[in-house]
Amino acid sequence: MTAAHLLQVAAGGLLMGLVYALVAAGLSLIFGLMDVVNFAHGELMMLAMYAVFAIWAINGTDPLLLLPIVAVLLFGIGIAIYHGLIARALSVQFNRGMVQIFVTFGLAIFIRGACQFVWGGDFKSITGHWLAGRTIELGGVFLPLPQMAASAICLAAFAGLLAIGRTEFGRALEATREDRDAVALIGIDRNRIFALGWGLGAGAVGVAGVMLAGFYYVGPNVGASFAVIAYVTVALGGFGSMLGALVAGILIGEVEAFTAAFWEPSLKQVGVFAVYLAVLMLRPRGLFGRL
Amino acid sequence: MNRRALMLSAGALALSGRTAHAADDVVIGVVYPLTGNGAAVGLDAKAPYEVAADIINGTHAPIPMLMGAGGGLPKLGGAKIKLVFADSQGDPQKARAEAERLITQDKAVAIVGSYTSATGATISQVTERYEVPYLAADNSSPSLHTRGLKWFFRTSPHDEMFTQGMFEFFAGIGAKTGRRVQTVALFYEDSIFGTDSSNVQRKLAEAAGMKIVADIRYRAASPSLSTEAQKLKSANADVIMPSSYTSDAILILKAMAEIGYKPKAIMAQAAGFQESAFLQGAGALAEGAMSRSSFAGDAIKSRPAIVPVNALYKAHNNKDMNDNTSRQITAMLTMADAINRAGSAKPDAIRLALIATDVPGDQTIMPWKGIKFDATGQNTLGTPVMQQISGGVYKTIWPFELAVMEPGWNVGQ
Repeated sequence: MTAAHLLQVAAGGLLMGLVYALVAAGLSLIFGLMDVVNFAHGELMMLAMYAVFAIWAINGTDPLLLLPIVAVLLFGIGIAIYHGLIARALSVQFNRGMVQIFVTFGLAIFIRGACQFVWGGDFKSITGHWLAGRTIELGGVFLPLPQMAASAICLAAFAGLLAIGRTEFGRALEATREDRDAVALIGIDRNRIFALGWGLGAGAVGVAGVMLAGFYYVGPNVGASFAVIAYVTVALGGFGSMLGALVAGILIGEVEAFTAAFWEPSLKQVGVFAVYLAVLMLRPRGLFGRL
Repeated sequence: MNRRALMLSAGALALSGRTAHAADDVVIGVVYPLTGNGAAVGLDAKAPYEVAADIINGTHAPIPMLMGAGGGLPKLGGAKIKLVFADSQGDPQKARAEAERLITQDKAVAIVGSYTSATGATISQVTERYEVPYLAADNSSPSLHTRGLKWFFRTSPHDEMFTQGMFEFFAGIGAKTGRRVQTVALFYEDSIFGTDSSNVQRKLAEAAGMKIVADIRYRAASPSLSTEAQKLKSANADVIMPSSYTSDAILILKAMAEIGYKPKAIMAQAAGFQESAFLQGAGALAEGAMSRSSFAGDAIKSRPAIVPVNALYKAHNNKDMNDNTSRQITAMLTMADAINRAGSAKPDAIRLALIATDVPGDQTIMPWKGIKFDATGQNTLGTPVMQQISGGVYKTIWPFELAVMEPGWNVGQ
C-alpha cells in the first residue's frame, strides 16, 4: 500500500462525501425546520438528474449550464410539494405523524413510477459534455474532473446555505425552527417560511443531482441508495445543522472508502453504520446537533 | 395476426363449422413473473412464447428449423398448441400454486418457465408430484438438475457450463495468439448469483493454473465503487471477471476510467453486461468488454432460421431477440417437437419423447451443438458463446467457427 494509493482512496472518499453532504443538507434543512422527514428526498435528486438528461437529450446543453435552471426548477417543485401536500398533511388533527410519513413516502413511489413511465426503466448516461471522462493526475493520484467540479459546486452551495442563515430570512428560519407558534406573534408568516424551507431543501438536492448527472448513471431507482446514506448523514451530523451535514457527509465518504480498501468492499455500509452507532452512543443528538 | 385477419379467420371458422375430427388443443402452461419486480423480463417472455406458438400452429413459409413447417402437430392430426400464461410475481410460493392450478384446472400436459431459478425450483417440485414434464427455458442455477427429479428438463445451459465456456475460450485464444491468461480478478456482488458465479470461477481458474490476484465481493447497488476500482487497478489482472447487474456494471466501468485504469480484458457473467441499458449507460467505456451468452444473433450463416424467426419476433414485440427470448422460443419448439414425436398429449408419453430428444444445433436458432438431455434432464449440448462489444453491439467471437470477427485481445501486450 503506497502513499499514492492511500491518497487515492482518501480523494475518492472526499469527492463522494461532498456529494453525500449536499444531498443530506436539503434533508436536514427540512427536518430541522419542521420535524418532517422527507422520504421522497432521493427521488427529488433523481428528478433533477432526469431534468438534466431530458434537456441534454434534446439540445445537448452542457449539464453545468443547466445548473441554475434545474436548481430553480427544483426550488419551485419543493414549494409546490409544500403547498400541495405537506401543508395539508400538517393540518390534519389525527395521527399527524403517520400522515406526514405516508405523504412523502407515497410521493417517492409516485415520482419513481412516473419517471419509469416517461423514460422507461433503463439506465441513461450523459456523455460528451465539457468535463466528461476528463481526469487530472497529481503525483499518482487521479482526480476525475466531473467529480472535482461536483465537489466545488457542493462546497459553494454550502457556503450559500450558511450565508442565507445570516440574513433576515435565515433568522426567521431559525426562529420558526425554535418555536413555530410564537413566530406568528411577531409577524412572521410561518407558511411562507416552511414553503421557502422546502424550496431551499429541494434546490440543494437538485444541485447535487445536476452535478451527479455529469458522472453517474440516471435511472428511476438512483435516488434510493443515496437517500439511505443521506438519512444516516443527517442523524450523524445533527438534525438541522448544515455544518453537521457537511462534516458527516465527508466522514461517511471516507469511512466507506477506507472500509472498502482495508476491509471487505461488501462490508462498507457496515463501517458507516458502525461509526453512526458509536456517535449515537456517545452523542445521541449527532455531532453538531443542538437539541 | 392483426385484428382484421383475426376476424376474417374467425368468420371463416364460423362458416365452415367445426369438423367432427378436429384434434383437441394441447394445453401447455407457461409460468413467468408478469407483475412485480421481475415484470420487465416476464412481460418480455410472453412474446417469444406466442411467436413460438404461431410458428408451430400457423400457416407460413417453412422455416428451416425444428417444428418450422407450421400447421400444428402433424402426428396429432394437426392439433394446435394452446398456451396458458400464469403469473408467479417472481415469488416461489405463488409459482408453486400457479403450477398446480395449471395442471389441475387448465389440464396443462406440460409446463415451461420461469426466469428465476427460485421459481423454477418450486414449479418442478409440483410437476414431479403430478407427473407432468417441466421444461426450464431460462432457469440457470446449476443446482436445479441435480435434485434427482424425473420430470425436470432444461434446454438452457446452466451457470457452470457458461463459466466452463469462458475458460475454454481463454485456453483457445491463448493457444491461438500465444498470449495466455495468467491472472484473473474476480469482481462479484454479494448475492446468491454473484457468490455462486465466483465460486465456479475460482475453482476453474485454479484448475487452469491461473492466479487470482483480486477477489472482490462488493455491496450491490452502492452509490460509489471507486475504492473497488482502485483495488482492481492495483491488481491489474489479465482478465477482470465481473458478475454484476446493470447499474453496478455501468458504475464500475466509469469508476475504473475515472482513475485512469483501462483493464486488459473484461469477461462478464452476462447479467448486467448483456443488456441494452448497459450499452446505453456505459457508452464508449463498454467497448471491448466480453460476455458469455447463450444466443448469437449474428450467427445467421450457420443458423439460417434466425432471420425469419427474428422477423416474426420483431413484428410481435418491436425488439430483436436476445439471450432470454431466444431460449424461450427454443424451449417451446423443443416441447412441441417432443409432444409431436410422442404422438400423444399424455404426460408420460411426452416425458419419454423428451428423453429421446436429439436435435442437431442447426435445427435451432441457438449456437448450441444441439439438444440432448442426460439422465438428470440437463441438455448437455447447450454450449455457450462468447461475445465482445464492438462498435456498440455484441459480436460473437467464440467458438471460433461461429465467430463473426477476430477477438480484440490485449492480454500479454
